[in-house]
Amino acid sequence: MSAAGTDAMTNRPTPTPAAVEAEGITKNYGPVTALKPTSFAIPAGRYFVLLGPSGGGKTTTLRMIAGLIRPTGGRVRINGVDVTDQPADRRDTSMVFQGSALFPHMTVEQNVAYGLTLRRLPRDAIRAQVLDMLKLVGLAGFERRRPHELSGGQQQRVQLARALVLKTSVILLDEPLAALDAQLRRDMCFELKHIQESVGITFVHVTHNQEEAMTVADEIALIADGELVESGTPGHMYESPRRRFTAGFVGENTLFDGIVRHDGAAASLAVAEGLSLPLPPAPGVDWASADGRAAAVSVKAEDFRLAAGAGAEPGAVETPVEVVDAFYLGFSTVMHVRLPTGHAATVRMATRSLPGRFAPGDRAFLSWRPDAVRVHLA
Amino acid sequence: MTHDYESVWGYRLKWAYMLTLVGALMLPVFYTLYISFNYGGFGAARYEFTWLWYRTLFENQEIRATLSWTALIAAIVVACTIPMAVLAAKFYQRTRLKVPFVFLMLSPLFVPADVTAAALLVYFKNLNAVAEAAFGQSWFELSLWTAVAGQITWCLPYAFVVILVTMARFRPEQAEAARTCGANAWQAFWHVEFPQIRPGVLSATAFVVILSFNEYVRTNFLKGGFDTFPTYLVSYMLNTGMTPEVYAMAGLFAVVSMAVVGLVLVMAMTRGRA
Repeated sequence: MSAAGTDAMTNRPTPTPAAVEAEGITKNYGPVTALKPTSFAIPAGRYFVLLGPSGGGKTTTLRMIAGLIRPTGGRVRINGVDVTDQPADRRDTSMVFQGSALFPHMTVEQNVAYGLTLRRLPRDAIRAQVLDMLKLVGLAGFERRRPHELSGGQQQRVQLARALVLKTSVILLDEPLAALDAQLRRDMCFELKHIQESVGITFVHVTHNQEEAMTVADEIALIADGELVESGTPGHMYESPRRRFTAGFVGENTLFDGIVRHDGAAASLAVAEGLSLPLPPAPGVDWASADGRAAAVSVKAEDFRLAAGAGAEPGAVETPVEVVDAFYLGFSTVMHVRLPTGHAATVRMATRSLPGRFAPGDRAFLSWRPDAVRVHLA
Repeated sequence: MTHDYESVWGYRLKWAYMLTLVGALMLPVFYTLYISFNYGGFGAARYEFTWLWYRTLFENQEIRATLSWTALIAAIVVACTIPMAVLAAKFYQRTRLKVPFVFLMLSPLFVPADVTAAALLVYFKNLNAVAEAAFGQSWFELSLWTAVAGQITWCLPYAFVVILVTMARFRPEQAEAARTCGANAWQAFWHVEFPQIRPGVLSATAFVVILSFNEYVRTNFLKGGFDTFPTYLVSYMLNTGMTPEVYAMAGLFAVVSMAVVGLVLVMAMTRGRA
């Protein structure tokens, strides 16, 4: 989370006002809190993704930026202008909805042209811009179709064109790909990213799908239980999440909770009787003073190694495990293993690097490099 | 279309049942129509086709006046009821007290027509007395407007329900999409929501026309110094008995009502195909 008027990634003051700036925005429905006071700033031209589980508050956040719901507290600024009291039609934003938000009684062309006709532009200018946009989203020649004659993916492209044609400085996308099947969703992700890069408009995209988020985002903000948990680049969220929740939500991580123990020379995390994990040096953390503190660590599934015998990886931490199950997925194989303490771990290895097939009930050795351990103090 | 595993005879039985029921209900109406074209009227020894009774009807100045009054009232009632019903349906979507609101809207249907009519009559008389005492004006004298008010209490619940059902199918995110395209609340309603609830508004209009056209009890209590077609028909029957003219009036009545329904059906079907 960054302070108002700063770049969320670098924390340097931004020279121009952020495209979108939320300052302590919050939303309560009676006694229910949909979003606790939340602040963030999205620099212009960024592809920003609000990621999180359903009901976590990400759509509430987006709809407050759009002007479709009014924050209970806090301010929303678009390009430095306070728009908190302005409804959606007075804001420099446009929006793509999850589905069935096209006007069914209008043709594709009329749908895309709708916002421009409200601006009373000359008819020729409207037509030219609409055709341009339809070409950009790959729907040239579809002008006369009606929404019900289009596939789900085509409908979402029309929605995107309808938003893009308005040339607003921000486009908000609320689960735009959620209704599409997996293959199409992946293709549309690439396309969204290309389009955003070519037009250079700030995109704010809500999704619960982490693959979708990783594909399109310059920056991801993880929102859960009505608060902004953590934000950063996809690389940061995946490789070095600061919060335990992030490690549990992004990627495929195994988490261990325990107490920090420091014996004067080295730090470790006491997870259970007979399970103590060495802690790597962490930037800005003094392990000696953290002694006795509750913490969590996480290890990415691909950072584990499973071998039939001990000592396969010199210098690695190692523990005997029992294989619970193994799933062959082509390029990789996922295995669930159980530690002697009863803790479960998820291992993902390239299938070709496996010594052989593991079967449920097999005894094996799980190892990982000490520096693969990420520490979460919150 | 029959269901694959349904007995053919069960299917035929359903049709037979429906046709018998509708036939039994409509037979007297068709018989009335049949008699209305008979020169000798009801009970004549032989049937002789004629337009005479209808011609007499339309040459009668009194009856033509009642038809104009009926049409005028129907037009005003539609003009008032439909916007009121749309507003009420919009309010229903917003309010959290949905059940009490629907009960309130439908309550005129639960009160017998003559009770509503008598109550309104007394109410207008009292209001008129107050207006005369306070302003020296008899604003609430029985007139076209009191009859219109009485009919609106009767038509509004039906129009409300019909429009509400169509409105429930509208996806609110479309209105939100319009707002994010730059439309204000009215434009979002008029450009996006209204075209989609139009079939409901049309059926509600047809419904209200028929309800107004056929309304007798409230109109009879609340009308000023004029007759509508139903009130004229009833008083005529009471005075002269079932003359051939009465059959013609009843026939006209039935044909107009069915024509309105038929028109709506045709419009709905052509729209569905387009």
